[in-house]
Amino acid sequence: MAVSRRIATKFIAGAAVLVGTLVMPSLQMANAAEEVDGKLYMVIAGRQPVSHLDPALKYDLSVRMMQQQLYDALVKYEGNPSEIKPWLAESWSTSDDGLTWTFNLAKNAKFHDGSPVNADAIVYSYKRTMEINEGPAWMLDGFVEPDNVTAVDEHTVSFKLNKPYAAFLSFLPWWYIVNPALVETNAKDGDMGKGYLQENAAGSGPYMLERFEQGTAYVVKRNENYWKGFPYDNDRMGGVIYKLIRESAGQRAALIKGEADIVTGLSVEERQAVAKRDDIDITSLPSLTTFGLKMNTTKGVTADLNIRKALAYAYDYDSFIQIMNGEARLQTSPFTDAVKGQVEIADMPRRDIAKAKEYLAKTKHPDGGFEVEYVYVEGFELERQMGLSMIDAFKDINVTVKMVPMTWPNMVALGSKPETSPDLLAIFATPVSTDPDAIAIQYHPESFGKYYGSHFLEDPELIKLIEAGRAETEWEKRAPIYAQIQQKIVDLQPEIFGMMRNRGMAHRTWVKGYQDSPIRMGGEIDFYGVHLDPQ
Amino acid sequence: MGQLILRRLVFMVFMLIGLMAIVFAISNIAPGDPARLAAGPDATNEMVEQIRVERGLDKPLVSRFVVYLTNLATGDFGTSLHTKRAVFDDLARYFPATLELVVLSISFAVLLGVPLGMLGAVFQNKVPDQTIRFIAVSGVALPMFWLGLMLQWYLSLEWDLFPLGGRLGIMTPRPENITGMYTVDALIQGDFRAFREAFWHLVLPSLALSLPALASIIRVNRAEMLETLNKDYILNAQAQGIGPFRVVSAYALKNAILPTLAIIGLRFGWMLGGTVLVESVFDFPGVGLYATKAAVNSDFDPIVAVTLVLGASFMLVNLIIDLAYALLDPRVRSQI
Amino acid sequence: MSLETSSKNNGLMDKRSNRISVLAPVSEVDRFREYRRMWATFRKSYSSMAGLFIVATFLILAAVGPSIVPFPEDALGSIHLERKLQPPDATHWFGTDEVGMDIYSRVVVGARTTLWIGVTITGIAILIGVPLGLLAGFGNIWVRESIMRVTDVFLSIPGLILAIAIVGALGPGILNAMIALSLVWWPGYVRLVQSKVLSIRNETYVEAARSIGASDFRIIFLHILPNCMSPIVVKASMDMGMAILGAASLGFLGLGAQPPYPEWGAMISIGKNYLPDWWWYTLFPGLAIYFTVLGFNLLGDGLRDMLDPKQRS
Repeated sequence: MAVSRRIATKFIAGAAVLVGTLVMPSLQMANAAEEVDGKLYMVIAGRQPVSHLDPALKYDLSVRMMQQQLYDALVKYEGNPSEIKPWLAESWSTSDDGLTWTFNLAKNAKFHDGSPVNADAIVYSYKRTMEINEGPAWMLDGFVEPDNVTAVDEHTVSFKLNKPYAAFLSFLPWWYIVNPALVETNAKDGDMGKGYLQENAAGSGPYMLERFEQGTAYVVKRNENYWKGFPYDNDRMGGVIYKLIRESAGQRAALIKGEADIVTGLSVEERQAVAKRDDIDITSLPSLTTFGLKMNTTKGVTADLNIRKALAYAYDYDSFIQIMNGEARLQTSPFTDAVKGQVEIADMPRRDIAKAKEYLAKTKHPDGGFEVEYVYVEGFELERQMGLSMIDAFKDINVTVKMVPMTWPNMVALGSKPETSPDLLAIFATPVSTDPDAIAIQYHPESFGKYYGSHFLEDPELIKLIEAGRAETEWEKRAPIYAQIQQKIVDLQPEIFGMMRNRGMAHRTWVKGYQDSPIRMGGEIDFYGVHLDPQ
Repeated sequence: MGQLILRRLVFMVFMLIGLMAIVFAISNIAPGDPARLAAGPDATNEMVEQIRVERGLDKPLVSRFVVYLTNLATGDFGTSLHTKRAVFDDLARYFPATLELVVLSISFAVLLGVPLGMLGAVFQNKVPDQTIRFIAVSGVALPMFWLGLMLQWYLSLEWDLFPLGGRLGIMTPRPENITGMYTVDALIQGDFRAFREAFWHLVLPSLALSLPALASIIRVNRAEMLETLNKDYILNAQAQGIGPFRVVSAYALKNAILPTLAIIGLRFGWMLGGTVLVESVFDFPGVGLYATKAAVNSDFDPIVAVTLVLGASFMLVNLIIDLAYALLDPRVRSQI
Repeated sequence: MSLETSSKNNGLMDKRSNRISVLAPVSEVDRFREYRRMWATFRKSYSSMAGLFIVATFLILAAVGPSIVPFPEDALGSIHLERKLQPPDATHWFGTDEVGMDIYSRVVVGARTTLWIGVTITGIAILIGVPLGLLAGFGNIWVRESIMRVTDVFLSIPGLILAIAIVGALGPGILNAMIALSLVWWPGYVRLVQSKVLSIRNETYVEAARSIGASDFRIIFLHILPNCMSPIVVKASMDMGMAILGAASLGFLGLGAQPPYPEWGAMISIGKNYLPDWWWYTLFPGLAIYFTVLGFNLLGDGLRDMLDPKQRS
């Protein structure tokens, strides 16, 4: 036995050395935020990749989040409630007929390469977006012709509208200004710089692009010479990393460990759980966002209005509130409460199985017995739980649900054509403006192909109403039109109307200066004023 | 010996062609239209038709297989719908990561498994032996992904010993790409900080991945050691006053090599399969994670490519092990 | 490697069968003694008994699970948002999940799913593998070579990877996952049976049977198959565990069973999002997989020791 004991001693000694070497270096690894050359880089851990950076192409929350930092626009939304603040434009005026808008530019604004942001740059950028005719182009489509955006002098730009447009100014914050010289130098084969701007930036914003590592991380460096300065005084703030962590568990872990400073897209439970920690705070804010389970009105069972009604009456609306742990309210109209002109619709569907069966009886499937496909964002816990709740709720009318998780780009692609658009598509849509037109237009054929247009609803009467609403300038005349529109949309039931949820993010307490604004999408962070201040 | 290697290599080529045939067959049992799949969900009907002609999908099966083989021979593995890059480029980026992971796992399995097995034999039926046997039995039964999750949450999050996942910290400068394996590249360039960090990111996933192999190595070494300890020459050596440690290292270790090698050969396939699981848990950007993402998105070119590459590495490793066997054990040499 | 050893060591058994089937009629007493000896071997091993106990418990749960659990409707996806994510207590022994389903009920009912998965995969693998193995053992060189080379190719690729490729082609889902795993599982049986056939084919008693005019068919069923039974049983027991692990792995990756289907791997796949605050969601399905696989492995080890005395250590 002495033999074995001596062997054992050696083994144990060896194991101790092994464990020792394993633990040693880890003690030096613990760090707070990312630090490069003495500068702090704030890490935002999100789930959605930044598909490109071009201000003239389609936008989503992650694209817009990056663009807001790399570029400036004439005006910017800030605060709660969201207000339009002067930005590249210091002031503006409107002619009496409402057709001519004149903007006076800040004289010290500089692009990242030092060249001035002048009237020509503004004109170039607007024309570029209008000609490419994607992304934000729809916002001014039919109201401003490219040639009617003109430079009056070095620091003055004028827009001549075809007809008065009440919501005009409210769309301008999403029209970012690009550096014409830089774009033209890198344009190839008349692509107007589309290839270059995919993964490069040509802006004047508070941050400059440092690294674009698709699918992994996107790094921006603070522009210390930003022409507008920063609202805080903290020289250690060096930049921001938008890092992709695809699972919420990983996001949470990174936050708790201090490997991430801000995480977005957590479920309510998760936010409430991390908030128990002393070094983590959460934000919560009612948003403008609507949520709807959009139905394809052109194909399959959901082409039948009675089936759509049946599903809408079978859905268990309380589950929305329960899934959100009470941090949500049901929509009482297709418009969210913060939208101007919102009215409560009296016959908004609520769970009523008898009524659902009544509608079902009028269809080709009086006893149910069919399957609907529910497509949602892969890994989005909230939407997955809604699917489970749907399976349970639709059992009562003998309808089964097939849950299909998909990545966001695939889902958008699927919903962009009437032939492929699924029966039910979970869509959060944040309007780009507080004007009611921004939501009404989602039910107009102009929105077909966009993620919120996957219903492909085409109703002549509704179209006429929407067009009348946007052409009118006097609010007294617009208000009744929008009331009518809301009722009409509910009658046509292109979606199961959902909820207004509080949204928010979780952050380390050393993150300072963050301000949410309802106009931003869930998970879209404006980090202009945000800085890190670890003790 | 040279002739033997050559014969095995030729055999391997045939096996690979067989593998391609199987994978090709699988990619054709897919319900739905391969052209539409390849074109992606955003494609119009004309685009789908164009791809059908481009890829020769309108031709009969056999001629398509030939086209497929020629494409593979020229390194054309197709394009990933998910990453929108050539699959070949993706593999060049992800395969070294997986290789790094697997090599470290094997090292863990051997470095921990051999001594633990021997320790068990020395303490036969005592508490250490029972503990070790428990590890050996559990190692095969524990779901690798579950173990990975537990290691991640407790060793990394609660005790803060290891990073949560990935290959390197985000702001750590990447070592210049030579082999694609961060640890190796960092060492070549003398960047010790990057090496340590890359190694650190590898520890937990490799531990989780090594468990089934570790368990088998413990078992076989314990059995081997028990037998050895009862042999006359060991008793003799001890009688002659040779220290126990030397006895073990001189005799028992030598006996342990062959069965350990055999186990590695047997378990290597499991390990390659396991990368899919641990890479998914630790968000480790290797071919396993790549294949899983592709499978979830019905992105077929990458799946096919990963299958082929992993199959080929499995064959290669088994070839190497057989050769090592032949070198070490003259009795086997004649059989290969 | 292990296959070779086990076939080599079966010489002893072969002689016994020889005695049983050809030369002398065996009395009931002899057979009884034989079984008793085997059972004694089995019983002596603590781990074999543990394996038997676990597997028996598992089978009982799979049989009566849905009728003994407190919330059987939860296993089928009935949600109760008002009691979501509750920690284990007297009502919900294993706590509740993110939509208020009782995890204890789902884990127990999951046993039936798991058994179904394991039996189907192993069963299909045996149904494909054994006939092919017999054919390869008895057929002429062309038949043998073509079967064995195809088998080699299938064995040359990690099973889980091939399964993922197949599921990738067929689309995620429990049925497709089972098809995929069955398709990668059969080659082991071909090898096993083929080597067995080759070793038995030239034994004296088979020669004897052939000389008195027995057909191949008769030889297979009377002499070869009974001799293959014990290694097949041992392998099947081990494979049950591995197949369960494989299906759970696919479930975890989101390629197998889809929620709310009560499958352990799929439960962990969702539950991992709730670590560590809601640890019970991942812990209990994980333990269920672990113990089930462990049980089948221990049982397999015990069976090998029992049926194959020379291997006993």
